[in-house]
Amino acid sequence: MAEPASSDNLPALEFERLIACHECDLLLRKPLTSAGEKVECPRCGYELYTHRSQVVRRSLALVITALLLYLPANFLPIMQLNLLGQVTEDTVWSGVLGLYSSGMQSIAVVVFLCSMAVPLLKLLCQFAVLLSIRLDIGRSYGLLLYRIYHHMREWGMLEVYLMGILVAIVKLVDLADLSIGLGLFCFIALLLVQIWLEVTMSPHQIWEALSGEDKHACD
Amino acid sequence: MRAIDAGLLICHECHQLNPHKPDEEKQFCVRCGGHLHARRPNSLARTWALLISAALLYIPANLLPIMTVNSLGKGQSDTIMSGVIELVNYGMLPIAAVVFIASILVPTFKLVGIALLLYSVQRHQPMSARQRVLMYRFIEWIGRWSMLDIFVIAILVAVVNFGSLASIVPGYGATAFASVVVLTMLAALTFDPRLIWDNTKSDDDHE
Ligand SMILES: [Zn+2]
Ligand SMILES: [Zn+2]
Repeated sequence: MAEPASSDNLPALEFERLIACHECDLLLRKPLTSAGEKVECPRCGYELYTHRSQVVRRSLALVITALLLYLPANFLPIMQLNLLGQVTEDTVWSGVLGLYSSGMQSIAVVVFLCSMAVPLLKLLCQFAVLLSIRLDIGRSYGLLLYRIYHHMREWGMLEVYLMGILVAIVKLVDLADLSIGLGLFCFIALLLVQIWLEVTMSPHQIWEALSGEDKHACD
Repeated sequence: MRAIDAGLLICHECHQLNPHKPDEEKQFCVRCGGHLHARRPNSLARTWALLISAALLYIPANLLPIMTVNSLGKGQSDTIMSGVIELVNYGMLPIAAVVFIASILVPTFKLVGIALLLYSVQRHQPMSARQRVLMYRFIEWIGRWSMLDIFVIAILVAVVNFGSLASIVPGYGATAFASVVVLTMLAALTFDPRLIWDNTKSDDDHE
């Protein structure tokens, strides 16, 4: 656990050797971390950082997998509905189109952003950031993209969408003949890879690698 | 002690510490170039404004139909609550509970919770810092789940599209509901959690 820095020994400590809790502003001495270790704020319990090994290599593999899954997850049918011989299909994209054409443009835009645009932009930002660290080019763009990524985090809602699919299936299963499509499995896979990626890419290591403070932050 | 007392500013974006330069009007983070503030500017006023707009839209969101099911010439409008009741009548209790929590309990709890948080930070009452922090984290985490009903509508509108046989049309309640969710999420984002700790007596009261 990190130690609070008190005022008597502060002048001796350079501020490079301090960190502050993002949630409560408590000043702490920067702890030495080894792989797999977690540091929490002693006052509010906020997780300050986790140190993981081989962050860049693992995250790159995950981000590429997620990008490959993106198209099938969004454009392959999630379910098919058969009512008296008429068959309709649902994809994430057709959900957006359906809302748009029924005159609800504003919700169509919200659904498009939360279920398609933001998840894709997040992955692209992560991919660019990781490439910039790996290839050691364009660090300033990497920093900017990583900032943008953090602003988008809250608005990607794949896991909520999956719950929405389940609720819709339950509502429809008695009304008509329902069959599950390949798109649903791709969607679940995309969601799992994306969660794994967020756990792997520990932010403080990426920030340090981007700013070049620590050459070994991502070993 | 707090970073602000030591003349240090923490970057909102990358959490880097920067020495505070009071003579400079605008200060940027040395690491990521983000705009630095000791505390988010006008955090309380902005959060109140977002919260009040959300509370106003909460009324049409619950009263107006979120969708209309047309089947063989008959139309049936559903509000958020009637959708839940219908699921209960079908005997699908677990899903009914999920929808009830996501679309009714969570938005209500968020409106009340953020208001309570703001009130208690401004009046130094009636919750301890620890309670406020737990409340803040819970609200921040749960907010996105209210979008559930909107996604369900999107899926149903796309898939139940059999012309005159059966079709589903979204209603204006859905627009109001989506706005409530977005506004309360923005309110949770504008609120600066460090304010929770600023007016506690000692900053070492973590025991
Ligand atoms: Zn803290
Ligand atoms: Zn910064």
